Amino acid sequence: MHIVVMTKPVPDPAAAAERLDADQRLDRAASPAVVNGNDEYALEAALKLIEAFGGEITLLTMAPAAGAETMRKALAMGATRGLLISEPALAGSDVPTTAIVLATALGGLTYDLVLAGVDTSDGGGGVVPAAIAARLRLPYLGNAAKIEPDPPNGRVTVRRITPIGYDVLEAPMPALIVCTQALGEPRYPSLKGIMAARSKELVTRTLESLGADVAGAGGAHTTTRVLGTRRPPSRGATTVVRGSAEEGATAIVELLAARRII
Amino acid sequence: MFPVFAEVPAYPLVFVVFWGAAAFFALVTARHIRVLAAGHAPGPNPLAKIPTRTLGLIRYAFLQVRMFKDPRAGVMHFGIFWGFILLTIGTADIVTGGIIQTILSAPFDGLIWMAISAMQNVVAVIVLVFIGWAFERRLISKPARLTYNRDALSILLLIGGVVATELFAQVFEFARYGDKPGAFIAAAIANPLRSLDSGFLEAAFAVLWWARIAIVAAFLCFLPFSKHYHVAMAFPNIYYRKLAPRGELPAMDLEAEDATFGVRTLADLGWKDMLDGFTCTECGRCQQACPAWNTGKPLNPKHFIMGIREMSVEAEHGLPLIPNSAIVRETYGLDDTIQAAALAKPIVDNAIPFDAVWDCVTCGACVEACPVLIEHVDKIIGLRRNLVLEDSRFPAELNGAFRNMEGVGNPWGQPPASRLDWTKGLPFEVPIVADVAAAGKLEALDVLYWVGCAAAFDERNRKVARAFATCLDAAGLNFAVLGQEESCTGDPARRMGNDYVYQMLASGNVETLNRYRMGEKTIVTACPHCFNSIGNEYGQLGGTFRVVHHSAFLKELLAAGRLRVIDDETSPRRSVTLHDSCYMARYNNVVAEPRDVLGAVPGLDLIEMEKTGKNTFCCGAGGGRMWMEETRGTRINASRTDQALSTGAGTVATECPFCMTMMKDGLEAAENNAAGEVRAVDIAELLAESLAPRELAGRQLSVLQ
Repeated sequence: MHIVVMTKPVPDPAAAAERLDADQRLDRAASPAVVNGNDEYALEAALKLIEAFGGEITLLTMAPAAGAETMRKALAMGATRGLLISEPALAGSDVPTTAIVLATALGGLTYDLVLAGVDTSDGGGGVVPAAIAARLRLPYLGNAAKIEPDPPNGRVTVRRITPIGYDVLEAPMPALIVCTQALGEPRYPSLKGIMAARSKELVTRTLESLGADVAGAGGAHTTTRVLGTRRPPSRGATTVVRGSAEEGATAIVELLAARRII
Repeated sequence: MFPVFAEVPAYPLVFVVFWGAAAFFALVTARHIRVLAAGHAPGPNPLAKIPTRTLGLIRYAFLQVRMFKDPRAGVMHFGIFWGFILLTIGTADIVTGGIIQTILSAPFDGLIWMAISAMQNVVAVIVLVFIGWAFERRLISKPARLTYNRDALSILLLIGGVVATELFAQVFEFARYGDKPGAFIAAAIANPLRSLDSGFLEAAFAVLWWARIAIVAAFLCFLPFSKHYHVAMAFPNIYYRKLAPRGELPAMDLEAEDATFGVRTLADLGWKDMLDGFTCTECGRCQQACPAWNTGKPLNPKHFIMGIREMSVEAEHGLPLIPNSAIVRETYGLDDTIQAAALAKPIVDNAIPFDAVWDCVTCGACVEACPVLIEHVDKIIGLRRNLVLEDSRFPAELNGAFRNMEGVGNPWGQPPASRLDWTKGLPFEVPIVADVAAAGKLEALDVLYWVGCAAAFDERNRKVARAFATCLDAAGLNFAVLGQEESCTGDPARRMGNDYVYQMLASGNVETLNRYRMGEKTIVTACPHCFNSIGNEYGQLGGTFRVVHHSAFLKELLAAGRLRVIDDETSPRRSVTLHDSCYMARYNNVVAEPRDVLGAVPGLDLIEMEKTGKNTFCCGAGGGRMWMEETRGTRINASRTDQALSTGAGTVATECPFCMTMMKDGLEAAENNAAGEVRAVDIAELLAESLAPRELAGRQLSVLQ
């Protein structure tokens, strides 16, 4: 089975060092980059699938050149190879451009499944996977809590989380699946994995070599504009309630009642 | 032919019986050594540091200082040991045809041999009493730490048998053939027997004399298969003890592509590690001291070492006692090398359960307690290294701690930008090294304060940092901190087996410290774990630094008169107990310094806990346990809190940020401290509270809390 996992480099949320540059864009140099947390869950799901069914995992991202470094961390977890689409003109791209570029890149790959995380911790749009599925006319299976491929019959069954439970969806492969954290904690890369990742295939390609028709794409042509930014209000003081479960419950109820929340 | 033993029937048979047994002993030992030699990890250089090693041998093997921590067992063992040595002179004399006796009888008219004979008599009686005592411990009073099996009883019977048959053979010899000089107790017992039938006396003498030789021979044959092998193995094991600082874990080459990382099988151990197994006497002092075992967790350091021995013995299976020569092996198609399968068996889940590997707090209480200097902790870390670096098998909670250390340089996962938040509101400036360097004032710097992640990010420990900085400021010192250039020393990662993250963090720190030439300055820290890594472990990565714990530093400042306390004789008397940090007291011998600081605080009365100083009981946070859930057994910090509260002291003084967190949590949860009257306070806070205002600046020190 061939699986493509979309893994985006994002500023490490723990570093809390995100800054905007003069163009109101994220200053990616200001903060250490990590693989987007939700994408790691998608990668973990993919790793479990190839452990069970055999196959290969290709990582795909569109990012500045430094994204290759971050991709090595995902390769260390066990992916087979990486493909980075990088071009200065793409800086500041909006969702449509991103989807066009990634869909074009996917067109050159062989795959049974494309896995993506629910959203990214920097942009937070959460619509790129759906846009790709729409462009490539792939079955789109969102909010997956369980993935059960049936390679001989070329079909995949997905358990999709809903507000009241779950739906069981079935689709022909290739398909695009958006993965939730219910699929399981991402593994910690072993040292052997880290060492193996150093020599894994990691290709960086430009738009031209992809043959993508993205004239008018990139930050200069973005369809969205940043009107203004402000920091979220800092959180108020924390109250820690100690004691037995009953004491705790009573204290919390009193606290909420005092604030007229209940 | 052998005039000394003329009365002994068939004396020359001794050479066959004894030396045959001795040869068997040597062959079995040689087979053990073949397994030791299969260990890949380097052991100590056998020929280096001879004077230091010899002194250790005298101290631990001949004087047995570690044994006297349990005074009753210490006296008993000392009596048996020295009695055994003295009686062995007699045995050696017999099995060499009386050479020793002949030589020692020559000078001073035979006085030396006479004295030895007299002492042997006295010792024989003493040893018999001690053997009786040892039987009493094993059959009647039964201390919990011992392992009860037939092995120990057999050995006691054999020792008692040798001594008793030797003494009574002499008694019948004297009764029949007349006294020999010196052996006065045998002569006294022989007195009433002299009138007995000479044939009976001859027979009794012959039977007892040969019984003694038979027991000695049996003892030699039995020894290498028993825990009492320690009578031979303790000497090399003590001699080859770890001489590096206790807190320095073995270096690791992470670039060695084909290597096994850490310890998976026996073959990944060093020969000294397996020698530890053969030396263990199952005395149980390690398990008695172990905080994990004491709180009902699966980890038992004794069982771990015994497990390594069992695996080593298993690996010997099929090896002939006398190795075949290459020609014989080829001709008959024999393979008497150690079977690869026996060496490929993983240690985890064989010698030690997986959970137990993660229960260890690396407090070193087991290592400190072991009379024959077995190293438990380094082996456990070796196992963790393999589990983490090769299999990614570790408690799930560690995932976050590892990622945080790797991502943002601290296990709390706090943004590095908030590293200096603890300084906010202080009435003086805390300079940053980069600024000092930029201003060209690095030369004038007195000391670098290594804050550590706990003091930088943990709310409670920030107060400790503020108190300590206040002391530095009050002493008028020119100090600075690294601020955002500081990262975790890597100690938690290293103790959790993740040497990859450790080396990443540590080499970054070494690079930073060397960039500011801090090797020429003093580094002070209030964190024993940072202290241990920077002082004992950074040398492996090319960083040699002089690091001082804040207890020692404050003590110096007090002694030099740079810090003055308000002592107007009206200070109310308060009682305090000190919880020693394992990494200060046990690992780095810092015991007196925090007490000196407490002694300088007016009105403080120190009440010691039972487990104090180098025998301290861990708070439960060492070895990365700070970031793991404590799901097995009861909580270690609750146990230590009980010990602290039972002193009746009103305050628990700490000297380590992790101890602070654990003792604070323990005290807040303790039922017999429901009002929260007893609190955990760092020694720097206790001192800072009573400091005289700095005269020149005229500042008040009301900023502490």
